[in-house]
Amino acid sequence: MLEIRFFKDFKKYFSYVVFAAKAELKSEVADSFLSWLWWFLDPLLYMLVYSFIAVVVFKSNVQYFPVFVFLGLNTWTFFSKTMKSSVKLVSAKKTIVTKVYVPKYMFVFEKIGVYGFKMIISNLLVVVTMIGYKVPLTWRVVWIIPISIVLVIVTFGMSTIIMHFGVFVEDLLNVITVVLQLGFYLSGIFYSIETIGKNIQGRVPDPYGDLLVKLNPFALLITDLRRVLLYGENPHWVMMCAWLFAGILMSFVGIKIIYKFENSYVKVI
Amino acid sequence: MSDITETAITVSDVKVRYRMFKKISLLKTILAPYKYKKTELFEAVKGVSFEVPRGQILGIVGKNGSGKSTLLKAIAGIFSPDEGTIDLHGHSVSLMSIGVGFQSKLSGRENIYLSGLLLGFNRQQIDEKLDEIIEFSELGDFIDRPVKTYSSGMHSKLAFSITAILETEIMLVDEVLSVGDAKFKKKSFEKMKSLITNSDRTVVIVSHSTETLKSLCDTILWLHDGEVKMQGSCEEVLPKYEEFMS
Repeated sequence: MLEIRFFKDFKKYFSYVVFAAKAELKSEVADSFLSWLWWFLDPLLYMLVYSFIAVVVFKSNVQYFPVFVFLGLNTWTFFSKTMKSSVKLVSAKKTIVTKVYVPKYMFVFEKIGVYGFKMIISNLLVVVTMIGYKVPLTWRVVWIIPISIVLVIVTFGMSTIIMHFGVFVEDLLNVITVVLQLGFYLSGIFYSIETIGKNIQGRVPDPYGDLLVKLNPFALLITDLRRVLLYGENPHWVMMCAWLFAGILMSFVGIKIIYKFENSYVKVI
Repeated sequence: MSDITETAITVSDVKVRYRMFKKISLLKTILAPYKYKKTELFEAVKGVSFEVPRGQILGIVGKNGSGKSTLLKAIAGIFSPDEGTIDLHGHSVSLMSIGVGFQSKLSGRENIYLSGLLLGFNRQQIDEKLDEIIEFSELGDFIDRPVKTYSSGMHSKLAFSITAILETEIMLVDEVLSVGDAKFKKKSFEKMKSLITNSDRTVVIVSHSTETLKSLCDTILWLHDGEVKMQGSCEEVLPKYEEFMS
């Protein structure tokens, strides 16, 4: 029942989501023609900041460091921006929500479209720097596809659930901001959680490092992206599957609660 | 196939409450857990039932706060009733109102697509109606400029044109709209009238103007404090309502 309704609604509102996501990106650029430059400059400048901290302050000697940071940063930014904007998403769409019925999780898809597009753009930096560093590629790069799918599903699941609670809990954004900050440091964006080969020394001693990669999906996703792109290794398949199922389960729960409660949102906002 | 007595809207024993979902704050809940338990319960619609046959025009009257708009929103599917059911028998529905929220940085044309898609139309259907909408809105070259450059009159002209030209089978009207300057006001009122009186279309109008209702509606539903006070033809209900209100 739920799946049928979901797929029917998804089909019906998909073109709206695509159009709205494009519209949002367009209106960002509309102000000045160069604002899209920030889609590159943002990750670039942050990469420099983290490089400074990691290389100069913490004496890190990770190989291909800029690529290493970009991968972590772009993935994390996609997740955290989608998540943060989901908290107040229903009230941000007040003019729509109070006038017409839309399945509210479609707004999350819209955000995923917007930040997903930006992630793809900023990942061009990864490609460019990888060429610059002459990183040897293996066939394992194809694994970025399943990794990206898990990333989107987990992000969608978490964001829909958060969006629901964001309607009723006034100060949820404050909590989420702090939690995301913690998540940022625990996802190994400018350091490596696990030891890979001889060159890369894990910064979190086992068993904690191992636990972190298993329990924090973003630590896992970022670590595995680096494994397949930079070191020609396989992802952690078992954990990847586990998080795929967890992501589907969260999405299922999110969609279910939204269908159940979305018609009360108007009464609150 | 579709005889005259076919029902378009069935509302049975609908109750809408504004309650239980009150905004909470995590901090306040932790610091003062008992202070925050109070939830107000307010029943805006208290068990309303009625049917509207296809092609009919129903007017809803009642004083402010009698639950008219709430009922209209419930029929539009914007929120579900707490009790009772609303069955639209598969008809498409839209709530006529000024603008489904424009993206101010985008052009009028793009906003037509955005609103149309939101109202449940597909790209093709909007493509077909696009020229008609632009023409009706009288915006001319402004249609390709960002909506933020529009005057408030142009803004409402565009909004009106979108909802009026992308027609649905059931139309819910909260106060008969007439927008823009005198000329457009007349034109939009005429358009509304022709939309409303189209014999295929089922319409529910909420209005305070008994004059408007008298000229448009087949039947009248009088809501008072969330309950049906009277239901019947214009001649039966409206004089009593006017008497009550004066």
